[in-house]
Amino acid sequence: MSAAARRSRARGAPTLSLPAEGTLRRAATFLASFGIGVAAYIAIAEADGGAPACLAGGGGCEKVAASSHSELLGIGVAAIGIAGYALLLATALLRGDGARMGGFLLGLVGFGYSVYLTWLELFVIEAVCQWCVVSALIMTALFAVNALRMVAYVGRPA
Amino acid sequence: MSERGAADSGVDQERRQRLIKLASAAVFLAIVAVAVAIAVAATRTEGGDTEVEGAAAITRQLAGIPQNGMVLGDPSAKVTLVEFGDLQCPACKVYAEEILPEAIESKVRGGEAKLDFRNFTIIGEDSTPAAAAAVAAGEQGRGWSFVEVFYRNQGFEGTGYVTDEFLTAIAEAAGVPDIERWERDRHGKRILAAVERTTAEARDLGLDSTPSFAVEGPRTNGLEVVEDAGSAGELEEAIERAG
Repeated sequence: MSAAARRSRARGAPTLSLPAEGTLRRAATFLASFGIGVAAYIAIAEADGGAPACLAGGGGCEKVAASSHSELLGIGVAAIGIAGYALLLATALLRGDGARMGGFLLGLVGFGYSVYLTWLELFVIEAVCQWCVVSALIMTALFAVNALRMVAYVGRPA
Repeated sequence: MSERGAADSGVDQERRQRLIKLASAAVFLAIVAVAVAIAVAATRTEGGDTEVEGAAAITRQLAGIPQNGMVLGDPSAKVTLVEFGDLQCPACKVYAEEILPEAIESKVRGGEAKLDFRNFTIIGEDSTPAAAAAVAAGEQGRGWSFVEVFYRNQGFEGTGYVTDEFLTAIAEAAGVPDIERWERDRHGKRILAAVERTTAEARDLGLDSTPSFAVEGPRTNGLEVVEDAGSAGELEEAIERAG
C-alpha cells in the first residue's frame, strides 16, 4: 500500500486502489501490440480486393471490406489502424506527461473513430465484421487504460 | 484523487489541473466530432433506400484477380477476350451470372486470358450514364466489380431505374474507394468519349446485339468476333484457339 493511500485512510476518506502506472503501461503495450496484429491481418486480407475471414460466415467481412467506408481519403482504414496502434504503443513505452497526454488523446481519437465506424457498420453498411469489432474493443480498452493513466498520474513525477 | 495529489510530493497541482482541463475539453470535442460525423453520414444516406444485392458474392468471385480499367485479369495475359455489353441488357445479366464465372475461373484467374468489358450502348438512353459510371469505377480499379454488381441488381430495361442514387449505391457496393472522384469522373467528357469510342468500335466490327464477344491473341488477326459464344465452353475454346 502506498504512503498516499495510508494517509487517505487515516483521514477517513474512502480508499481507491489504483493500478501502478507501470501496470497500466504494460497493459497498454499488450493491447496496442494486439491491435497492430489485428489491423495488420485486416490490411493484408483486404489487399487485392479480398476480405478477412469472418469466423461465423454470413459475408459481413466481405461487405464491410467492399464498402467505400473501408478507406479514408484513399488510405485503407486498416492501415490507419496500424499507424494509430503503433503511436499508442510508443506512448505506452514512454514515460512522462507527454506520453500520458499523448496516449490519452490518441486513445480518445481512436475510440471516437471506432464508435463512428461501428455506427457505419450497423446503420449504413448494414453488416458487421468480427475483426472490426475486435479492433473496436481493443481501442476501447486502450482508451480506458490511457484515460486512467492520465487522470491518475498526469502532473506527477515520471 | 485530489487528496492523493496533495499528499504526494513533487506534484505540480497547477499543471495537473491544467492538463486535466485540457483532456476534458478534448473529450467534449471528440463527442461533438463523432456526433457531427454521424449526422453527416446519416444525411448522405437519407433517401438511399436502394438495396444492393450480391456484392459480397462478387467480392468473393473476383478476389485475387487484378482489375485495371475495365480489364479483369493479368494485364500481360497473351489472349484478350472482349465482351461488348450494355448494362441494361438482360442477356448480358444471364451471361454475367451463368456463363462468364466459369470462363473467369478456368481462363482468367490462372492468367491464360484477360477479360475486357467494352460498353456497347444500344438499349436506351439510360445505357450511357450506366456505362460512364462503370468506366469511372474502372478508373479506380473497380470496373469489373461495378459491372458484376450492376448486373446482379439490374432492373427492367428502360424503366428509369438507372438513377443517380442507384448508380451511387452500385458504386459503393462495388467498393469504389473515392465516391466523390467517381461522381466527378462519370460526368466528364473523357469518360463519355470512352463510352462512345467502344460503342463505335462494336459497330465497326459489325455487331448489332449484346452481349457480343471478340478475341485477340497471338493466333488471331487482330480483334476477331467470336461467332459461337453461347456457352462457357465455347468462350474457352475461342480463347484456346487465339492463344
